[in-house]
Amino acid sequence: MTQAHMTRLDATTALLRLLDRQPVLSNLGGNSYDLLAAGDRPENFYTWGAMGSVSSVGLGLALSRPSLRVVVLDGDGSLLMNLGSLATIAALRPANLVHIVFDNRMYETTGGQATHTARGASLTAIGRGAGLTQVEDVDTIEAFSRAVGRALKDPGPWLIVALVDASASTSKIPRRPIYFKDRFVEAIRSQ
Amino acid sequence: MKDWSAALVQGLKANGIEFAAHVPDEVTARVLTLLEADPAFTVIPVTREEEGVAVLAGASLGGKRGALILQGSGVGNAINALASLCIGSQIPLLLIISERGRLGEFNPVQVPLGRAIPRIFEALGIQSFWINRTEEIGPVLDGAAGLAFASSLPVALLLPTTLTGGKRLK
Repeated sequence: MTQAHMTRLDATTALLRLLDRQPVLSNLGGNSYDLLAAGDRPENFYTWGAMGSVSSVGLGLALSRPSLRVVVLDGDGSLLMNLGSLATIAALRPANLVHIVFDNRMYETTGGQATHTARGASLTAIGRGAGLTQVEDVDTIEAFSRAVGRALKDPGPWLIVALVDASASTSKIPRRPIYFKDRFVEAIRSQ
Repeated sequence: MKDWSAALVQGLKANGIEFAAHVPDEVTARVLTLLEADPAFTVIPVTREEEGVAVLAGASLGGKRGALILQGSGVGNAINALASLCIGSQIPLLLIISERGRLGEFNPVQVPLGRAIPRIFEALGIQSFWINRTEEIGPVLDGAAGLAFASSLPVALLLPTTLTGGKRLK
């Protein structure tokens, strides 16, 4: 099995360097903590619960605002909880959706229990099987940045599965979901 | 029976609902056909009701009003997203529910969830309203949409079998 050559925080930092004001939606747990550490911005929407739902929230936002490139930061455990969303995204084909999965092969927040990607499940194969065609598998920061750079320009929907180290999360978010939601809606309304 | 399906679609449109997610259902089949035929609606078939709640939450973040059209049994699949996404972050949507497990039910395993739904909504603090006659669809939808989008919370409309005719035993 391939080894990870990047941390999730380094990848998230690289992502933010490539972005202007595009919205970023992160799933609960480590992805949200690292997104905050990499750079809090009004265009970030952190989810706090409803594990697995972030790819679907991204789909709805992408369909409602076709002129915005929408970035979703998912996790392997989260996506495994909502695999049907890959088939729905493939069926609706929003060209402006960039679905990034940080795969650390574990449920980090709950103590590091293995997810099924640690035992052979391939999220890129599942994505292709769901009907997605713009699918990338990356395990270095350089390959990640290249894939994201393409996905921000070329028509999607994109699925980028990035193998990352199981590094500990680096920040805790102030839990004010309604404030962050209102801030996000204001920030993208004017775009 | 009057055309409750057309009245429902008209009511959604009159209230600025542009996004409709659904898991297919025999009872609402005509509603889905009418929605698909109307370019005012973006119709999103989802694989599971919780996914539909999340898609409409995303559309709401983007400024679009949404309704999820589901069978009563699907409420059980949608609860966590309703609670921790919509209520927790104050994101509104309408739930349009064709009842199972209540008047006229022929399938015993539909009954436990069907009879629990009003109390599940009550426990979650989700306001729900029955629509008993076709003539009530317009005013109740107007009121429910007003309530949902003013309060930024999900609101449920329950379609009993006395309105819809229900699902028939084949």
